[in-house]
Amino acid sequence: MLAGRWMGFLGRRLLGLVLVLAFLLFATFIMVRLIPGDPAVVILGQNGTPDQYRQVDHLLGVDRPWPQQFVQYVTRAFHGDFGSSFATRQPVGDILRERIGPTAELAGLALAVVLLVSIPLGMAAAHLTAGGRRPRLEVAWTTLTTIFGTIPQYLLATLLVFVFALELKLLPVASGRGWQALVLPVASLSLGPTLALARIVRLQVLDALVQDYVRTAESKRLPLLTIYVRHVMPNVMATALTVGGLLFSSLIAGTIFIEQIFVRVGMGSSLIGAIQAHDYPVVQADVLVLGMTVVVVNAVVDILLGVLDPRTLATEG
Amino acid sequence: MAFLRALRGAPSTMVAFVVLLALLGVAVLAPPLLGHTANRFDFAAVSASPSPTHPLGTDRLGRDLLARLLVATRLSVGMGLLAEALAYLIGVPVGTLTALVGARWRPMLMRVIDTMIAFPGLLVTIYLITILGPRLGLVGLAVGLAVPEAFRAARIVSTLALSIAGRDYLAAARVVGVRWPRLIVRYLIPNMAETVITSFSVGVSFTIVAFSGLSFLGIGVQPPNFDWGRLLSEGVDSFYETPAAALGPAAFIAVAALAFAYAGEAVARAANPRVWTAAQPARATGRSGLAEAVSSSSAKSGASDPTLLVEGLRVRIGDAEIVSGVSFSIAPGEMVGLVGESGSGKTMTALAIARLLPAGAAVDGEVRLLGRRLAAMRPRQLARFLGTELAFVFQDPMSSFNPALTMGRQLTEGVREHRRLNRRTAAEAALARLSEVNVPAPRRVLRQYPHELSGGMRQRAMIAMGLMNEPRLLICDEPTTALDVTIQAQIMDLLARVNREHGAAVLLISHNLALVRQNCSRVLVMYAGRIVEDLASDRLLSDALHPYTRSLLAAVPDLDRPRGTPLTTIPGQPPTPAAHPTGCPFHPRCPLAQDRCRRELPPLDARPGGQRVACWMAEVEATV
Repeated sequence: MLAGRWMGFLGRRLLGLVLVLAFLLFATFIMVRLIPGDPAVVILGQNGTPDQYRQVDHLLGVDRPWPQQFVQYVTRAFHGDFGSSFATRQPVGDILRERIGPTAELAGLALAVVLLVSIPLGMAAAHLTAGGRRPRLEVAWTTLTTIFGTIPQYLLATLLVFVFALELKLLPVASGRGWQALVLPVASLSLGPTLALARIVRLQVLDALVQDYVRTAESKRLPLLTIYVRHVMPNVMATALTVGGLLFSSLIAGTIFIEQIFVRVGMGSSLIGAIQAHDYPVVQADVLVLGMTVVVVNAVVDILLGVLDPRTLATEG
Repeated sequence: MAFLRALRGAPSTMVAFVVLLALLGVAVLAPPLLGHTANRFDFAAVSASPSPTHPLGTDRLGRDLLARLLVATRLSVGMGLLAEALAYLIGVPVGTLTALVGARWRPMLMRVIDTMIAFPGLLVTIYLITILGPRLGLVGLAVGLAVPEAFRAARIVSTLALSIAGRDYLAAARVVGVRWPRLIVRYLIPNMAETVITSFSVGVSFTIVAFSGLSFLGIGVQPPNFDWGRLLSEGVDSFYETPAAALGPAAFIAVAALAFAYAGEAVARAANPRVWTAAQPARATGRSGLAEAVSSSSAKSGASDPTLLVEGLRVRIGDAEIVSGVSFSIAPGEMVGLVGESGSGKTMTALAIARLLPAGAAVDGEVRLLGRRLAAMRPRQLARFLGTELAFVFQDPMSSFNPALTMGRQLTEGVREHRRLNRRTAAEAALARLSEVNVPAPRRVLRQYPHELSGGMRQRAMIAMGLMNEPRLLICDEPTTALDVTIQAQIMDLLARVNREHGAAVLLISHNLALVRQNCSRVLVMYAGRIVEDLASDRLLSDALHPYTRSLLAAVPDLDRPRGTPLTTIPGQPPTPAAHPTGCPFHPRCPLAQDRCRRELPPLDARPGGQRVACWMAEVEATV
């Protein structure tokens, strides 16, 4: 019975994922068609020969009927073929392969920092301020987490560069190799989400601490750490994961800024460069890949939530 | 209004609103006053550092940066407000529609909205401005910024509309015949206004940040227009020479974002202070004074040590004394009932004995378990001792089990911690205990989660969990109150059997005097934080002396009572811990109250037969 319910849940989530991915494919497909004016003119300018225009139209596939174009776009996308860049003539697939790695490294490290720091930090803050103790610490905590949760990543990056690279000369600003070159980008990407999530974790832990089941655990005289890790954490994880999923999407958006500021090669800097150069095949592929990453991660989080909290399976139709 | 209440609140709120007004003032006034200065080239002072004439320095064309920054306020803040307004223009109808469509389509629409919210807004914006930018310019930017925000707005509006539509007053208004337009104007809008203002203001903060970010990336505002983001990116280019050129715009963006976000939250706080202010529960206020003279209580000290000995126990939470000098003892294997109305301090007494009071409660007095003073034990020793010798059965078996862990895990973790049993041995022990309390299919139960069991089964499992370490004392706090009547009887039988077979002493807390009389050998009656009477159950009907005990007895439904005689209720309300009356706390409700009862607190005096009573009129009662 449980297995059946579980399969149903999984099936619904996967169906949802497929629908969203299909929508994403469609949205990126019509993007190029919705751009005002003739793309060929945008690319070539006014002075191309009719032959050149026809050639670009053919490259873009816009000389065939729409449904056929869409089928071709999807088939090619599945094979990693997104045409070639207008600007460099390089296959877009190659550009993607080259750019995904550094961005994945940046976003993955930042996500790891967010999760590894915010949950213990939020728990510690909750433990220290539970039951209205240390009111001043609570005020300081709330103020700091609010401010850093609100300040956008690009401002934080600017500030960190100013303090650590220009004033203290501790770390490299841009380029450079090795871990030092990653410290400032990862820090500016993860600081805000870490504190925002830690703030939510603290509230959730405070909420869990006054639950009857925590008192039951206390009545068994389990060590404090066991109570927090085994009894409080699972009930906090659901919210932490939900919010974490949302924060991941802001992390992905953040990489766009961070790559620009720290002059890093990656999906984000590729996207911005392509927009400015009207290099639509690259824009199209970048938006598709970044969007797919977020959508897939959200689906994984959704499924994890089902695994983590047995009640979601029970309450869902 | 909420707005004004918020202003009067914290000074930081005041600051946020002042900053908001200043920003709006600058947005209106700066372009006409400083527009000329902001665009004037001064090739004599190119990339100048801050100076009295140029407080933030100049850019590469010698333009005054402060003037540019102030002039840019109109575009940055204006775009934030415009895009967010556009978002609500789209979001409110979509949200309302979501709330109005039937339950059949709503989940699907909600899911679409949720998916969009989980998607990075920046990507949606970039997508839209790529399509709309070339055609629409600034309007295209506004639309691009508005769409992701519109989904957020739709989500908030639909949730709000649904929750309000389900409320009683709306149904009542419809029954009375209030028409829809009036319903919307008088009921829906006022109830939605505060939340919508809050989310709008927080949304403006998001939008300003996002818009500045786009310009910072070079895909927002295009020259010759300029906003904060554009100035920031120009400043970052000359970071080494003039840091102020970047820090100035950065500060403006941060301050504006914080001001809008904070002002929005302040409105919410003012509207709903309970949720938003940090919980301010009572803090421990020193130790209470010396216990007043309590009559010696170890009256029943037999040959062996009592299992539990409590003397002069006091519990204070903040300024309120919840338990005021409670003394009693429980002999090995004895089953004692603790009765009283809710608020009399029964549960607090039990939690204080078990050392489970929330942080912030101040406890005074002495508790000995199996002859050992708990206060004198070291923390680790104490945890082990209490973990094995004392078990607690809580009132609500649903909320008292952790919903995220299996029953097996929760039953075995105590023995695994304190007796270092391995997983298998602990599971065997749990199986034995579950069978003992008549849980069918115990092996399966171990793998199940609490929500998969019925209430009665959960309470049996809770008792089994309590027995895992073979404790000498079992404290049961209203163990049957959350269960229906037939299950109640089964659980009480079970407790009686556990008491008999394991020889564990039981302290049964209940507001149900009949239940206690049938199951316990002795009854403690509590009123307003004190024990007012202590006597054997079999003498309860004949020998109870305290007027409160007698009125409790009179309030018990009884089959012997002739039909037609009304059940007695006790007139008046029990006193609150914050406002105890002088003298005997029961005197305002007592039919026998005399002058002395109003002035002096009666001590708990020992009487023949191990009975104790705290009442000035007990002599009179005894002779009647």
